[in-house]
Amino acid sequence: MAESIFRKLRDGGEEGELAPALTIEETVASPFGLDVSGYLLTNLSSSILAGKSSSQGLVLITFSRSPSFYLQLLKQKGIVVSSSSKWIRILDCYTDPLGWIDQSSTSFSEGSSLIKLHKCVSDLKKLFSSIIEAGRELVGTGKTRFCVAIDSVNELLRHSAMPLVSGLLTDLRSHAQISSVFWSLNTDLHQEKVTNALEYISTMKANLEPLCPSSDGQRNALENLFSVHQDFGKGRFHVRFKLRKGRVRVMSEEYHVDQSGINFSPISSVDTVIAATKSLLPKASYLDLLFNYLVCVSCYNVISCS
Amino acid sequence: MAAPNVRSISSFSRNISVVSSPQIPGLKSGPNGTAFISSGIRDLDRILGGGYPLGSLVMVMEDPEAPHHMDLLRTFMSQGLVNNQPLLYASPSKDPKGFLGTLPHPASSKEDKPTAPDPDQGESLRIAWQYRKYLENQKNAIDDYSNDFDMRKPLERQFLSGRPIDCVSLLDSSDLSIAQDHCATFLSKFPRLCGILSYLISITLSSFESIKFVGHTYGANCAQAQFFLHLSYTSKLNCPFFLKNLCIVSHRNSSNIASIGRIAIQSFCSPLCEYSEKESDMLSFIRLLKSMLMVSNAVAIVTFPPSLLSPSSSKRLQHMADTLLSIKAIPDGDKELEKLLTGYKVINGFLNIHKVARINTQVPVILEAKTFSMSLKKRRFLALECLNQAPVDGSSGTSYGTSGSCSSKSGALDF
Repeated sequence: MAESIFRKLRDGGEEGELAPALTIEETVASPFGLDVSGYLLTNLSSSILAGKSSSQGLVLITFSRSPSFYLQLLKQKGIVVSSSSKWIRILDCYTDPLGWIDQSSTSFSEGSSLIKLHKCVSDLKKLFSSIIEAGRELVGTGKTRFCVAIDSVNELLRHSAMPLVSGLLTDLRSHAQISSVFWSLNTDLHQEKVTNALEYISTMKANLEPLCPSSDGQRNALENLFSVHQDFGKGRFHVRFKLRKGRVRVMSEEYHVDQSGINFSPISSVDTVIAATKSLLPKASYLDLLFNYLVCVSCYNVISCS
Repeated sequence: MAAPNVRSISSFSRNISVVSSPQIPGLKSGPNGTAFISSGIRDLDRILGGGYPLGSLVMVMEDPEAPHHMDLLRTFMSQGLVNNQPLLYASPSKDPKGFLGTLPHPASSKEDKPTAPDPDQGESLRIAWQYRKYLENQKNAIDDYSNDFDMRKPLERQFLSGRPIDCVSLLDSSDLSIAQDHCATFLSKFPRLCGILSYLISITLSSFESIKFVGHTYGANCAQAQFFLHLSYTSKLNCPFFLKNLCIVSHRNSSNIASIGRIAIQSFCSPLCEYSEKESDMLSFIRLLKSMLMVSNAVAIVTFPPSLLSPSSSKRLQHMADTLLSIKAIPDGDKELEKLLTGYKVINGFLNIHKVARINTQVPVILEAKTFSMSLKKRRFLALECLNQAPVDGSSGTSYGTSGSCSSKSGALDF
């Protein structure tokens, strides 16, 4: 449940414990991990501005979208971010992650303090210290905490080995001033053990299940493509919470993506998914049965006439 | 060799001696010349037929969603410290010593213990006179061998200070060489005279001083990876050069055991470790550890998350274990499971027993049940209980290759 996840991230962990961490898993069939990240980002920003969050700042590390995209997203939700905003910092690892551009352009940096260009994504120790430095600019060095949002770890895994990425994320969780961390991952891009490793180090796991299953290698591909297009953007949102006692809480709801973003709603009925799948597979089998029946009838007629 | 001082036990007998060796606390003789040490959980000792056999490798498959493997490690380590057994602990954290602060303390008073058969209360508890002596002996024997641990109370400093505890961080090296060296050094302190011929050579030569030679050999692919070769020369003997064969059978008679060691390795394949992508190195390490254990008076418990390995490596690690356990999380707020299981609300997780170590015998152990619920009695004492369920269909037994990452609620329960 997206609201539950947001509350866990907003409240953070208790003192002495590791910060709660969320992995958002998307697939090629349901590539809406960034939409979920955007949803959590806007909600966390609102709560920080309203003073309802345990953290007083947010550090956003962008890998797959430019910082201006997120500024625009926040603006659409009524949160205006200016260069003088003292609750958010953005580390731009999207524009020049490997340091190929010699001079940074001034057009996209709205105030050098808000957005910082990070040029060396493969050096994770440097990235960690940049994140902590950005956070401390917001909240100081006392006990005040900030939360960290990484829009996607796919690019991190492209440039660094899994142990180093796990080490970075665990170091973020272990830092006393970080209240919560979340990131998204496309599971189709990585081996299963990479996905399992990220789930291992996180306390919450959210995955997006499409409404209709992928229709590879089936007949009537055009028909299926039409159905897939219709149902694209809808599906189920499953969340697994690791509880303190060692139990696991599993929750599900439906999601729907449109122009305004992603929306969540309780599961309406079990039949909607079944009806959707029936629209793809049984149609073909009904047609086949009908065809076979007609062929049999015509053959019988031919035989009886002859 | 002198037989152990217990009633004769055949491999077909289910009764296992409950008399612990008076010489070494924390050690119990078992059938077929084996010796056991306690796991720290009395229920688990009972299920496994006495405890963990000396020289065996215990592997615990973790569930990424449940931390109960830590409780198994904690009770194992605490039991070792209470019995004054040296301990080697390795974990993928920067400060492994911090974990020692979370070890539980043994339940001390009678009120704290979950089960208190008190033979002194003759009037309130009617025990026939001929059995009182037995209960008293059993109680004394159990106290020397195993304890109930209060998971809420930390282990007192007296058990931690001055004890031989070695902590190793698995993050220290990019490969497993440091951990390997620590294990080898640790296990060399608990040698067992093993089932090979050992030669004692005496030479009478006045001009020679006494020479001792101790050799260590490691063979990664052979069963016996470590042995001591001890040659001593003495000038006192007047006999010519001769070879004396000492053939020692692989009996762990408790009178020959000087001390016992415990190794605890937590989250062996953690993604934080640099070697976690080198699966062949990890397999070699465990193979080496197992072969060193076979010639040592020690037990090692290694926990690992099988989902972080390739299926073939996970299977290989499981095969290498003498005792194989796995932990499974229980879903919270599951109404169907609540109807299925009694005591659902107090259960924190499940423990599956896939393999029980059998040494010096070909007779396997067939357990009455393989899945046990883990709960805290009085919110303090770890207890394992058989699952009580309403009669349902469709519960199939698990193979240990699949249950490590199983998340479905019905397929993994085995009654």
